[in-house]
Amino acid sequence: MNADAIKPEPNPFAGRSPGRRWISRGVMVLCTLCTAIALAVLFVVLAYMGIRGIEYMTPAFFTNLPLQSPEGMRNCIIGTIILVGLASVLGVPIGMLCGIYMAEYAGKGWFTYAAQLVMDLLAGTPTILLGVIAWQLVVVPLHQQSGWSGALALAFIMVPIVARASEEMLRLVPHPHREASAGLGASKAQTLFRVILPAAKAGITTGIMLGIARVAGETAPLLFTALGNDQAVYNPSQPYPSLTLKIWQYSQSAEPAWRHQAWTAVLVLVTMVLLFTAAVRFTVRGKKVNVI
Amino acid sequence: MTASTDPTLPPNPFMDVQQNAFRRGVDKATKAAALGGVLLTITILIIVFVVLIHGSWMALRQIGWHFFTTQAWNPVPGRDQYGVLSFLYGTGITTFLALLIGVPLSIGTAIFITRIAPRWLAGPVSFLVELLAAIPSIAYGLWGCFVMSPWLQNYLEPVLYDTLKHIKIIPVGKYPSGRIEFFPANLVHGGPSGSDFLAGGLILTIMILPIITAITRDVLQQFPQEIEHGAYGLGATWWQTTRLALAYCRAGIFGAVMLGMARAIGETMAVIMVIGNTDHISASLFAGGQTMSGVLANEFMEADHPIYLSAMFYVALVLMLSSLVTNVIARALLSRIDRERQTA
Repeated sequence: MNADAIKPEPNPFAGRSPGRRWISRGVMVLCTLCTAIALAVLFVVLAYMGIRGIEYMTPAFFTNLPLQSPEGMRNCIIGTIILVGLASVLGVPIGMLCGIYMAEYAGKGWFTYAAQLVMDLLAGTPTILLGVIAWQLVVVPLHQQSGWSGALALAFIMVPIVARASEEMLRLVPHPHREASAGLGASKAQTLFRVILPAAKAGITTGIMLGIARVAGETAPLLFTALGNDQAVYNPSQPYPSLTLKIWQYSQSAEPAWRHQAWTAVLVLVTMVLLFTAAVRFTVRGKKVNVI
Repeated sequence: MTASTDPTLPPNPFMDVQQNAFRRGVDKATKAAALGGVLLTITILIIVFVVLIHGSWMALRQIGWHFFTTQAWNPVPGRDQYGVLSFLYGTGITTFLALLIGVPLSIGTAIFITRIAPRWLAGPVSFLVELLAAIPSIAYGLWGCFVMSPWLQNYLEPVLYDTLKHIKIIPVGKYPSGRIEFFPANLVHGGPSGSDFLAGGLILTIMILPIITAITRDVLQQFPQEIEHGAYGLGATWWQTTRLALAYCRAGIFGAVMLGMARAIGETMAVIMVIGNTDHISASLFAGGQTMSGVLANEFMEADHPIYLSAMFYVALVLMLSSLVTNVIARALLSRIDRERQTA
């Protein structure tokens, strides 16, 4: 063998810059600093919400209506819960069906590709546009803002979230389960309903909770649809009360009492949303779930 | 086929249904329902486009491309003038600011989580960053409006003004009535208000940080151990190895940035609460502005005559297309990563 043929490549790392160890340490410090900044922001935001929210919190907030004295947001809290419930009734089944199709039936063809892309695009659509669509589809024909239109806008947001979560959770069920089930003579549908779905139940539930946590905090899609309501009206064909809409309305006012109410409302909202999200995180710890 | 003769074995749970036609029917119905769900979802996206194009049809016919060269936004009946330029600029500049600050922060945080922090610390830090993503945008908006804006006005912006007041940005134009007039504009101009492009950019920074961090973290975890060990074996320092990891994962990181950008483009509530809501184009960070999603949120319900409403739909269409392009690029880059992961 010729000695020239195995001439070693020069080491790309060693000896070229004498200060490289110091640079390395410097970058390490910078990255740690970045993390510290991110966590500090989280801390500051949550601290303000906690302190202001508790400072202005009164029992009346949970028991009274906006125009009563003292003011409260009872109807808005209930309204948000019902709106999210209606959106779930519409959005969760469709999302789960999509997840089941993508995990269990989809092949490798163009249709699967297109379906995946559509779901990603729907998940990325600015939520205010989904509000515009719900306005056009429901508010314009009925000549009135309503809880239905708000729930429809929220359902549009939920579908891709629930679909992706269910798909990932179904994929986590080990393949041998399906083979064993088929070996016992089960049909595809029997395998799905009696083996796969029960095994993925906890995961799918957390995916749904994630979707709920996400839409509970949405404001933009409700601006033209649910509109808000100061009365304890829970009929979905009327303009509907919502916590987020009330926060938006009060934040725009110069009245200090209303601003204080907005802080309390934000604390209540953020507590609900974060509890849901944290619960999801702890239930599926160790598994791969896209929270975002 | 004979049943099991061993009485100690549990009975086969699937042998109770012997009607094959029925079983096949259920099978087909299940598949059809699942397929129906997918088709319905595809229909939703098609409806989005149909509604937006149908709604903006009048404006598309009457305004056409002038929409992109007009700054004026004058919805008074009879003197109607509609141009998306100032809103496009508002969305663009706030997104740009958010990426400028947010991308280095996010990538630094992701590197910390994957390559610096010990295991016991990495998990909780990851979790806390993801909590940032779960906070609703209205909550960020309220915080931005009542805490961040006053702080900017009283503390940060006066300092920025003193440091940056001599910097001029030349080519940003002003477009009154279609005529293009360039004027030298300062990077910081006028009194600090706290409700301006800078505030919009900062609030978006906070909102895109968790997305970019989480995805970059996932992507960096795919960096093969062999390359890392090889680099260390050749005497590379930690940073030299990390640079290899960043280069190896560049497509995924770019995808993460694009996804963050898509989020910034579509974000509505938090931005309108801090950006000042005026239709200006200004090079100054201290000038108020408006974004596309912001003008929809503020004016959609006030659109009381047909061309005004149609122009609002036109804005919505432009917003949809900007978000779509960004998302498609992001997904293309990230799905390549996913495919590599699956084949590996």
